[in-house]
Amino acid sequence: MTAPLESDIDIWDDDILVDPYPTYAALREQAAVVHLPKNDLYVLTRYDVIRDALGDPETFSSTSIGFNPMVNEALQGTSLASDPPIHTQLRATLSQNLTPRALRGLKVIIDQKADKLVAELAASGSFEAIDSLARAFPIEIVADLIGFQGHVKDNMLRWGQAAMQVIGPLNQRAQESFPIAGELYGWCSSVTAEDLAPGSIGRGIFDAETRGDIPQGSAGHIIHQYLGAGVDTTIASIGNIIALFGHHPEQFELVRENPDLVPAAFAEVLRYWAPVHIWGRKATRDVEIDGATIPAGAQVGILFGAGNRDPRHYGNPDAFDVKRNPVDHLSFGYGPHGCAGQGLAKLEAHAIIEALARRVKSLTISDEVREPSNITRSFELLQVEKVVAA
Amino acid sequence: MRIELDRPRCEGHGLCEEAAPTLMHLDDDGELVIDVPEVDGADLDAAKAAVRVCPVAALRLAAA
Ligand code: HEM
Ligand code: SF4
Repeated sequence: MTAPLESDIDIWDDDILVDPYPTYAALREQAAVVHLPKNDLYVLTRYDVIRDALGDPETFSSTSIGFNPMVNEALQGTSLASDPPIHTQLRATLSQNLTPRALRGLKVIIDQKADKLVAELAASGSFEAIDSLARAFPIEIVADLIGFQGHVKDNMLRWGQAAMQVIGPLNQRAQESFPIAGELYGWCSSVTAEDLAPGSIGRGIFDAETRGDIPQGSAGHIIHQYLGAGVDTTIASIGNIIALFGHHPEQFELVRENPDLVPAAFAEVLRYWAPVHIWGRKATRDVEIDGATIPAGAQVGILFGAGNRDPRHYGNPDAFDVKRNPVDHLSFGYGPHGCAGQGLAKLEAHAIIEALARRVKSLTISDEVREPSNITRSFELLQVEKVVAA
Repeated sequence: MRIELDRPRCEGHGLCEEAAPTLMHLDDDGELVIDVPEVDGADLDAAKAAVRVCPVAALRLAAA
């Protein structure tokens, strides 16, 4: 058995979290799997190896998607943290309300909301894009979808962010977030049908539980996962859309000229800046990758962003190119656990990009701030200094 | 080769249809229909592309 090559970096170092791509490139050039003793972790760095691992749950188990034992314990019994065959069943109830066919009825209203919001911002001359767009829009859509009302809606951002932070190692960020993630957990285990708006999908999930279509007690879990997995990630991707169009005006111009490019542009935004930078698995046996062995029981870290920029798979990977249409990017994962909410994420993001293409002629960014964060990589602030309405 | 669909796993994302519109389509209910299950030649390449892009690995190619 040959041990994988090592690197002495800390993958959760503040500077790496804010700007991980140089580190990803170095790790990827080193090997397809690199051992990080500081994090007690084996990271996967190349496209093919990541995709194969995601497609092979027997070898790479989801029982340790998180990087500390407390969170893995807390997530037990969720779809996210289970393996087939149990996963197959949980996934079916989880995704039922999120498939493109289930969401079809929502497209018109999501498009209208995006258009109204973007038109107002375009007319305002300048705006801060994170609070007023990247956060406001998905929070409103997901709140309406699940039927959240009152104080719950106000907590969605905090809860969603904390649910992601606690998946990281037990650093200060995770420790500070555990009590907040606990509020979400507590709320989800006590929520009842009456707490959710009549006619909402959330209410429907409870009705399914009452009818016995899904196991008793699973409705709360499902809502927990919609909130935990669906808020912070979508926020990150919408902020990234604005930032990348600001940085690459010629690419925005291509989308304005040809709105058929909207889906391709979003796929490229996701490929270029992965909203989730690391996610865990556990090796269930000794696994040999390119001649090096990950030992049975080891914690594995999947670096989606490193795979998305692998030159073995994408030509000129560090260029942002809205015509590339990388439909096989890794940012939604792949295989049995491939993002259950990708239909909704696409509906939201496509609506925003279409509205931008229709309502905005140009935008320039004067200030952008990223805060280090354990799992999601997003902007904390993104100031659009000048927007010209179309 | 034969295109096989793991129906319970298919969620109707439709990326396969974009990759191989002559071989499969989503019907009005959003259910995937495989129009040409047995493939060879140029169809085989399109089928391979469809299998590749399915985000939940619901499609596979098996010996006919
Ligand atoms: C751009 C936005 C999004 C990104 C980048 C994203 C990313 C991901 C990734 C990488 C996974 C795979 C996890 C794994 O392999 O273990 C995943 C799974 C999941 N996502 Fe998303 N996601 C997004 C939006 C959403 C939305 C809007 C929802 C729901 C409302 C959602 C719900 C889920 C659920 C429930 C799973 C678990 C599926 C399973 O375990 O079978 N996601 N997501
Ligand atoms: S891409 Fe996969 S999930 Fe989507 S319709 Fe085709 S087979 Fe079904």
